[in-house]
Amino acid sequence: MVGPTASLSTLNRADGSASYKCPATGYDVLGAVNGPIELPARRDALKPEDATVEVFVKPGNTTAGVGERYVEGILRSVLGKVILGRERGFPRRGVVITLAIVGGDAVERGDSYLTILPALLHTSLLALLSAAVPLSMTFSATLLGVTKSGEIMPDLSAADAKTAVSRHVLAFSSKNHLLLNESEGRFDFNTWEQVRERALSICQELTMPGSDGDVAMGDESDGSKVDGFVRETVEDRLRRDYTWKIDS
Amino acid sequence: MVSAATVAPAAPQSLSLPPPQFARLQPHAYLLAHLSPPVASNQPSARANGRAPSQFRVTSANSGSLTHTNGSGMVRLGDTTAVCGVRAELLHTEDIPSWSVSQSSNANKRRRLADSIKLSGQSGDHEETEAEVEEDRAHIEDLNLLVPNLSLSTGCAPGFLPGAPPAALTQALSHKILSLLHSTRLVRAEDLRVWYQPPNLGPEELERHNDEEHMDVDADEAESKPAEIKAFWVLYIDIMIISLAGNPFDAAWMSVLTALRDTKLPKAWWDVDNETILCSDSIAESRKLSLRGLPIPSSFGVFEADAAAGWRAVVIPDGEKLKAEEKKGTVQKWILADPDGYEEGLSQERACIIVDKEQNGKTVIVSMEKHGGWTVDTEDLRQLVDISARRWDEMKQIMDQC
Repeated sequence: MVGPTASLSTLNRADGSASYKCPATGYDVLGAVNGPIELPARRDALKPEDATVEVFVKPGNTTAGVGERYVEGILRSVLGKVILGRERGFPRRGVVITLAIVGGDAVERGDSYLTILPALLHTSLLALLSAAVPLSMTFSATLLGVTKSGEIMPDLSAADAKTAVSRHVLAFSSKNHLLLNESEGRFDFNTWEQVRERALSICQELTMPGSDGDVAMGDESDGSKVDGFVRETVEDRLRRDYTWKIDS
Repeated sequence: MVSAATVAPAAPQSLSLPPPQFARLQPHAYLLAHLSPPVASNQPSARANGRAPSQFRVTSANSGSLTHTNGSGMVRLGDTTAVCGVRAELLHTEDIPSWSVSQSSNANKRRRLADSIKLSGQSGDHEETEAEVEEDRAHIEDLNLLVPNLSLSTGCAPGFLPGAPPAALTQALSHKILSLLHSTRLVRAEDLRVWYQPPNLGPEELERHNDEEHMDVDADEAESKPAEIKAFWVLYIDIMIISLAGNPFDAAWMSVLTALRDTKLPKAWWDVDNETILCSDSIAESRKLSLRGLPIPSSFGVFEADAAAGWRAVVIPDGEKLKAEEKKGTVQKWILADPDGYEEGLSQERACIIVDKEQNGKTVIVSMEKHGGWTVDTEDLRQLVDISARRWDEMKQIMDQC
């Protein structure tokens, strides 16, 4: 299985940006982050001690509709908790995250948005890292489906997701907290527990940092180490940005 | 002064505000004080509104209050009230652009399907084949036969101005209701179809058939010409939240359920002479929708004790450590069922669990959502599912009575 591909700081004008492509679902998302910026008319925000997090999702072929409002709400609540909005310079200001769905199937009216949610979460995380917005933790998300026979399927494609009996999106923080769970379909709690275990092992960083600071690569290089993937992407970018220093 | 003295008789001079003012100025501390009263005071832990943490508000449901709709429901959840009306309109298949194309491509499948439906009758208990499920999905989702819309600009709460464009919350709720209607497959496509059986026009048409087919001419009239769908009923589901005091989703979805359970569609048939659909006036001839199951939602908010204490960034313990600390009782959080408006403002982490029960009483989770925090995990969710299952029994009773 081919892992996801991503690159950081692809846009010049934004404070931070990232593009992310998920091979299983085929979604290609471009994200930009601006922050901290002065938001107009937010002086008397409800929470003056915290930063306002705004998320905008733009679908590939139409203008944003009700479905996008819904997914924006979910993203805002997840990211608002992860972003340290009380750091110096952030209170009363805004962090604006814009996510454009560049490639992949169009999400139709009334679709649940579960298939694209991991891609949106990963893109926004990478873009936030690229913009150097202070975060309390990183996270990783995955989409799992349960078939009629009770088998848990990772790497769901959009077509698989339609036939699955239940679909689950879970996001775990780098400290193994369950940050987000969105499940739909018909299932019982025991199934969900198995799904959670499986999702945790996918999301967990399988690449454990060695004692000398190197990354010890295990045999499990099957592209399922999502958290390790976030780290690698950032490391790659840093290595490229600091070539002048490393080479000298 | 008098009320302050009753709240904290030990230190009357430190708290010289009446409770309502204290609630406005220090909402977090106010709710925390209610949930963790001092040991000496001997008061039970309760929310500011007097409920126990896992207690829902008094719920009532009413159906059939709106006479101009095909079905309507009103659900009251404490001070949150949602009214839902279902209006059915006909969608002629000749008005669907790609209908004839998609029709001819799977005409055979459709014919078999029509027969099997006729055989099984209206019971609807038979095991559905995959083709039927797909057909059901295609008709309801691709043709958009269900159109829910939620309105909050009714003056229901000070935050939502009447006449303003729909707020983000309004749109998100509309979408959630639609996506839940689709994923639970609540409404059967068969209920929304208007069939027409072309008459058998006698021998001149049969001449074109083979000899073998001549054999079973008198066997079944339906075999000779497939029944066709002439129109669909489109259900416009309009929800108005007329009073909002937290937890709009539960109220809205339950009003949709009540309204759909109440919905009666008039008998409709294709009139060959007029080449149009005619509907019967008689209520006796109308039929109710047969819904699949009864998914009941339960929403929860998580109130954390130290949320306001950390002015600066707090150091977040690891997942394992958090669990251990919770056991010791150093991390305090309360999961509040059916949060009201005041509590919703104080809880960032939300959970919403929608459960249904099968005939044998087995609980099936239809949707489980949680986001906005990291304190709720497996054990909490297991408890919440149990609470939701109990809520299902309670709501089933209320809905059956109305």
